Amino acid sequence: MTAIPVQKRKARRHDVVFPVVNAIILILLMFITLYPVLNTVAYSFNDGTDALRGGIGLFPRVFSTKSYAAILEDPAVYQAAWISASKTVLITLLNLFWTGMLAYTLSRREYVLRRVITTVLVLTMYINAGLIPNYLLITRTLSLGKSYWVYIIPTMFSCFNMIVIRTYIQGLPDALVESARIDGAGDIRVYWQIIFPLCTPVMATVALFVAVGSWNSWFDTYLYCGGQKQLHSLQYLLKMKLATTQASANAAKTSVDAIKSTTQTTPITIRCAITVVSTVPILVVYPFLQKYFVTGMALGAVKG
Amino acid sequence: MKRFLAVLLAAMMVLGLIPAVMAEGAAEPITLTVFRGDPGDQPADDNKIYKLIEEEFGVKFEFEFLAGDLDETLGLKIANEDYPDLFDGGNSADLIISNGALINLLDYISPEKTPRLWAHIEPQKARLIEKDAEGNDVLYIIPNYGLPDGPQIALTVGGPAFFIQKQVLEWAGYPTIKTIDEYFKVLEDFITANPTDENGNPYTGFAILCEDWRHFCLINPVQHLMGRPNDGEVLVDVSNTDFHTETFIDKPYAKPYYKKLNDLFQKGLINKDTFVMNYDQYIAALSSGTILGMFDQAWDFGNATSALNAAGMYKNTFVALGPVYDPADVDGKVIEEHYLNGSLPNVRRGFGISVTSPYAERIVNMWEEMLSDKWQLIFNWGIEGEDYYVENGRLLMTPEQYANTQDNTWIMHNKARAFFESSPKKQGWIMDGEFKGNCWEPGNQDEIVFGLMNEYDKKFLEAYGFSKFADFVNPPIELAPYGEAWQIDYTPVEIEHQDFLNIQDKRLPEIIMCDPSEFDAKWDAFVEEITPSATAFGNYMQEAVLKEAQKVLGNE
Amino acid sequence: MSTIGKRSAGNAVIPVRKKSFFRTLGSQWQLMLMSVPMFLYVLLFNYGPMWGWITAFQDYKPKLGLFNSPWVGWKNFEWLFSREDFLNSIRNTLAMSVINLVFGTVSSILLAILLNEVRMRAFKRTVQTVTYLPHFLSMVIVVGMAQNIFASNGAINHLILSLGLSKQPVFFLGEGRYFWWLVGVINVWKEVGWNTIIYISAMTSIDPSLYEAASIDGAGRLQRILHVTLPGIKSTFVILLIMNIGHLMEAGFEIQYLLGSSVVMDWSQTIDVFVLQYGISKQQYGVATAAGLFKSVVAIVLLLGANTIAKRLDEATLI
Repeated sequence: MTAIPVQKRKARRHDVVFPVVNAIILILLMFITLYPVLNTVAYSFNDGTDALRGGIGLFPRVFSTKSYAAILEDPAVYQAAWISASKTVLITLLNLFWTGMLAYTLSRREYVLRRVITTVLVLTMYINAGLIPNYLLITRTLSLGKSYWVYIIPTMFSCFNMIVIRTYIQGLPDALVESARIDGAGDIRVYWQIIFPLCTPVMATVALFVAVGSWNSWFDTYLYCGGQKQLHSLQYLLKMKLATTQASANAAKTSVDAIKSTTQTTPITIRCAITVVSTVPILVVYPFLQKYFVTGMALGAVKG
Repeated sequence: MKRFLAVLLAAMMVLGLIPAVMAEGAAEPITLTVFRGDPGDQPADDNKIYKLIEEEFGVKFEFEFLAGDLDETLGLKIANEDYPDLFDGGNSADLIISNGALINLLDYISPEKTPRLWAHIEPQKARLIEKDAEGNDVLYIIPNYGLPDGPQIALTVGGPAFFIQKQVLEWAGYPTIKTIDEYFKVLEDFITANPTDENGNPYTGFAILCEDWRHFCLINPVQHLMGRPNDGEVLVDVSNTDFHTETFIDKPYAKPYYKKLNDLFQKGLINKDTFVMNYDQYIAALSSGTILGMFDQAWDFGNATSALNAAGMYKNTFVALGPVYDPADVDGKVIEEHYLNGSLPNVRRGFGISVTSPYAERIVNMWEEMLSDKWQLIFNWGIEGEDYYVENGRLLMTPEQYANTQDNTWIMHNKARAFFESSPKKQGWIMDGEFKGNCWEPGNQDEIVFGLMNEYDKKFLEAYGFSKFADFVNPPIELAPYGEAWQIDYTPVEIEHQDFLNIQDKRLPEIIMCDPSEFDAKWDAFVEEITPSATAFGNYMQEAVLKEAQKVLGNE
Repeated sequence: MSTIGKRSAGNAVIPVRKKSFFRTLGSQWQLMLMSVPMFLYVLLFNYGPMWGWITAFQDYKPKLGLFNSPWVGWKNFEWLFSREDFLNSIRNTLAMSVINLVFGTVSSILLAILLNEVRMRAFKRTVQTVTYLPHFLSMVIVVGMAQNIFASNGAINHLILSLGLSKQPVFFLGEGRYFWWLVGVINVWKEVGWNTIIYISAMTSIDPSLYEAASIDGAGRLQRILHVTLPGIKSTFVILLIMNIGHLMEAGFEIQYLLGSSVVMDWSQTIDVFVLQYGISKQQYGVATAAGLFKSVVAIVLLLGANTIAKRLDEATLI
C-alpha cells in the first residue's frame, strides 16, 4: 500500500498538462451549457412586453418580477405543487421498491423465468398500442380516471430503469450472492441485506430519472384529471398558464386591446419563469442524490 | 383513534355544507362540468362573478381546458362517451356533433319559453338552424360571438390586411395606397432613402411569416388582391348565385403577386430568413420596429403592437391597408377592394349541451336569464363602482380599470371568462334601456378607444382626415349567403387539403427566392404539382359553398 | 444450486428435463414472489391495451369502437407506403436517430471520462450539475435560442464571416442538408449532461483497486482510461446501445416540428410528425395505428438483431 504514493509522486509531464486541459474543456462546456440557462433566467426577470423585442443576454434589460407574480399569486399553484411533490415521492419509492427487486431476480442467471420475463418486459419499451386503448383501460376497465391514483398506479414500473439496475447488479461480484446463499439466506434476504445496500449509486440514479419524469409530467393530469381542480399537477397548471398567455396574446381583437398596458405578461417571459419555477425544486433535491452517484462507493472495502 | 377522527372530520364537513345548501332556496345547487376546446385559466375560488352566479342560479362550474391536441382529446371523450355538461368543441365542434354528443337546443328554445334567446338567434336563424339526417330542424350550438345588436362596429381592421409602418406613410406625405404596386413602391422608396433606423439597424421591407398554421401570411393574399374577403384558400365569384368556387393559388392571377415578391427579394426588400422565422422571432422583429410591412391578420401580432406602444415607438406601429391588383395585373379588370366583412355568426362555435347531461333545461333557462341587460353588463363590464363607473349615462372605465381587464391574474378573480367566452352573449350596441347608445364591449366604447389613443395616432388620422383606423379600407360589406368559406368543414378532403397546403408551403418560398430567369419554369412546375390536390379540394369546396348558400337562401 | 447457475450461464440452453424445470421453479419461489407481481402488472398495463393494434386494419371511429368500425384489411399500410413523403420521413427518422445515437453516446461517454478524471470533488460536482441543467429547459426555449444562434445574422455566422470561412452567411436553417446535423448538435447541447449521469453512475461500480493496480503496473492516464474505465462501463454501453438501436425508429417530433420550416420539410419530417399531420389530427386513427405498428415491428426486429449480435460477440445482452 505504501508503494502507491511513491508512484504518484513520479508525476509525468502529461499528468500535469492533462488536468489543466481537462479543466479548460470542462469550463468551456460549462459556459456553453450554462448560457441557455442564464438566458432563461434573465428573460424570466425581464418585463414581458420589452422581452418581445428579443436580444436579451445574460441579464434582464428591464427588470420585472411580474411573470413570477403571475404564477405565484395564484393559490392553485401551491395545491398543485403539493400534488406534484407527493405523487413524485410516492412514485419514486414504489418504483425503487418494485423495479429493484425485479432487476435483482432478472440478474440471477439460474432463475428459470428470467428469459421469459425479461423478453416480455423489454418489448414494452417498443410497443405502444396508441392513446385510445390506454385511455379506455385506465378510465373504463380500471376506473382510475379523476382520482389521485391515476398518477401512481399506472407508473410504478419502467423497463428502462429495471435494465439499468440489472446491469449494475450484474456488475457486482457473484461471490457476494454465493457466499450468502451458503450461509442459508433466501433470495429475498440476499437482495435486501446484501445487494440493495450496494446499489445506492444506481438507485440514486434511477430515483432521479423517475422523480424528474414524474415531476415533469402533465399529460396524465390532462387526460384523466383535467376537470378536477384539486388534483391538478404543477406542470399541468404551468402549461395551462403558458397556453392562456399565448391565447390571450392572440386575442387582441379591437384597437384598444392593442394598446395594452406595459404591465402585461407575455408568453416569452412566462415560459421562462415557468421553467425556473418548475426546475428549482429539482435543483434543490439534486445534490442529495448526486452525492451517491458522483462520489461512488468504496466497493473494495465492502468486498474485503 | 385516527379513524374516529376521520369520521368526525367528515361529519363536520357534511354538517358545514348543509346550511349553505339549505340557504340556496328554490334551485337545488348543481355543479356543471365544462369542457373548453381551447386553453384557459381556472378561475380563482373567490371569483366574484362566479359567486354571483352561484348565489342567483345555484350553479357551480368544474372547468376543463384544452392542453393537448384538440381532435385527439375529443376523440378520447367520444370513445369513452365521457361528455361534460357544457361542451365547447372549439374549432372541431363538427366532430362532436357528427358523433351525436350534443342535444338539439330547439327542444328547449322557443319564442314563448325563452324569448330572449329566441330574439338573440332569430335574425340569423337561416344560418344557424340546420337539418339533421332525418330532415328535422336542429340547433346544436348558440354561437359564442357574432350575433350583435345594432349596426356593425368597425373601428379598426381586426383581420387580414397589408400592414405598413405609419412612419413610411408619414415620410411619403400621407399618400393614399390603393394597389399592391403602390404599396410595394412606397416601401421601396422609403427603404432606399432610409436603409437603417436611427440606431443603425437595417430595415426589412416586407416580412412573410410562414410558421405552421400562420402560413396564411404566405398563401392567402391573392384573394384579397382579387377583391375578396377571407375565404381561406378559395376564391368565390359572388356576382351570381352559381358561386363559382376555385382554389386561387394555382391560377394565372396568382402569379403576378409572387412575381412581385420575387422582384422584392431580388431588390433585397425580402430577407430569406423570413421563411425560417418562428413566431417569437417574427414578433421580436416587429417589436423592434425594423420591419416596414407585411401581410398578416391584426390579431396575430397584437403583442408586437403593445411592445411598440410601450416603448413609445408609435411611428413604428402599423396601419392596415387594403390594396388590390392593378388592372394591368389582371387583364385590365378593375378590382373593387373588400377587406372588411359584415358581421357573421360564429356558427358551431361555443357551448353545446351534451346528451349525457341531466341539466339541459336548467342550463337553457340560465342562459335565458343571463341574456338580460343586468347579466350582460356584469359579464361585459363587471360590477359598477368596482370595475367601471357611470357618468351621464355613459359606461366608463378609468385607465387602471381598463388595464385590469387585460391582466390574466385579475381576470381569474374578477371575470367569468371561462364560462362567458363560450356562452351566448350580446355584442355591438346597447339598443335600449338605461344605457342605450353605449357599447356592450368596453373595448368598443368611444371614450375608451379614443381616450387611450396616443398623440401620434391622433395626428396621423388627422393628416388623412379620418376618424378611425378602419377608414383606410372600405366599410364592411355584407357577406354572400354562404358566409365565409374558411369556416366550412372540409373533413372529407382533409388529406388532399393537407397535401395542397404542404406543396404551397414548400414551393412558394422557393419561387420567391429563385433566380428571375427560372421564375416561369418554377411557377409552371408548381402549378403542375399542385393541380391534383387543388382540384380535389376546390371541387369539394364548390359543392360545400353551394350547399351553405342553399341552406341560407332556402331557409329565407 | 450454484452449479446449475454456472451451467446455464453464458448461453441460452434451457435446463434439461421438464421435471427439473418445475422442481427448480418451486425452489425459486422467492425469486418468483419478487418478480411475478410486476410481471402481471406489465401484462395488464402494457399488453392489455394491445387490442388497439387491430385498429390498424380498420377505419377506426371512436364512436363505433373496435367492434363496429369497418374493416379495411391492409389499406392503411398501403396508403402509408404509397406516399412518397412517408417513405421520406422514414429516411429522415433513421438518419436523425443514427446521428443522435452516435453524437449522444460519444459525447456523453467522453464527458463522463473527463469528469471521472477530475480529482477536485467540488469542481466535478459543479461541472456535473451545470451540464445537466439544459435538460430541464423546454425544447421551445432551446430551439428558439438555436434559431437565433444559427440565423443569418446570428453568432455562428458572425464567427464564420469574421474567420473568412465563407463570404456569404450560411443559411443553416433554410437548407435541408444542414437540418439533421443541427438536430444532432442541439440534442447534444441539451442532453449531454443528463446522458452522462448513467455512465458516471456505472463508473462508481469500478473497483478503485483496479486503478491502483494499473498505476503500479506503470499505466499512464490514457491506458488507465482504456483498460480500466472503458471496460468498467462496457456492459452499460452495450446494453444502452442495444436499447437505442431498438429506438432508431423514434427521432422524436418536437425538435423537428419547432426547428423545421416548410423550406426544409423534405429533411425535417419524421414518422411521428407525419403521423401527427396526416393521422391523429385528421381522425385517421387506423393510419396512425398502422404507422405505430410498423414502427414497433421494425423496432423489435432491430432490437433482437442487435441483441443477437451482442450475444455472438459474447457481450452483455439486453434479453
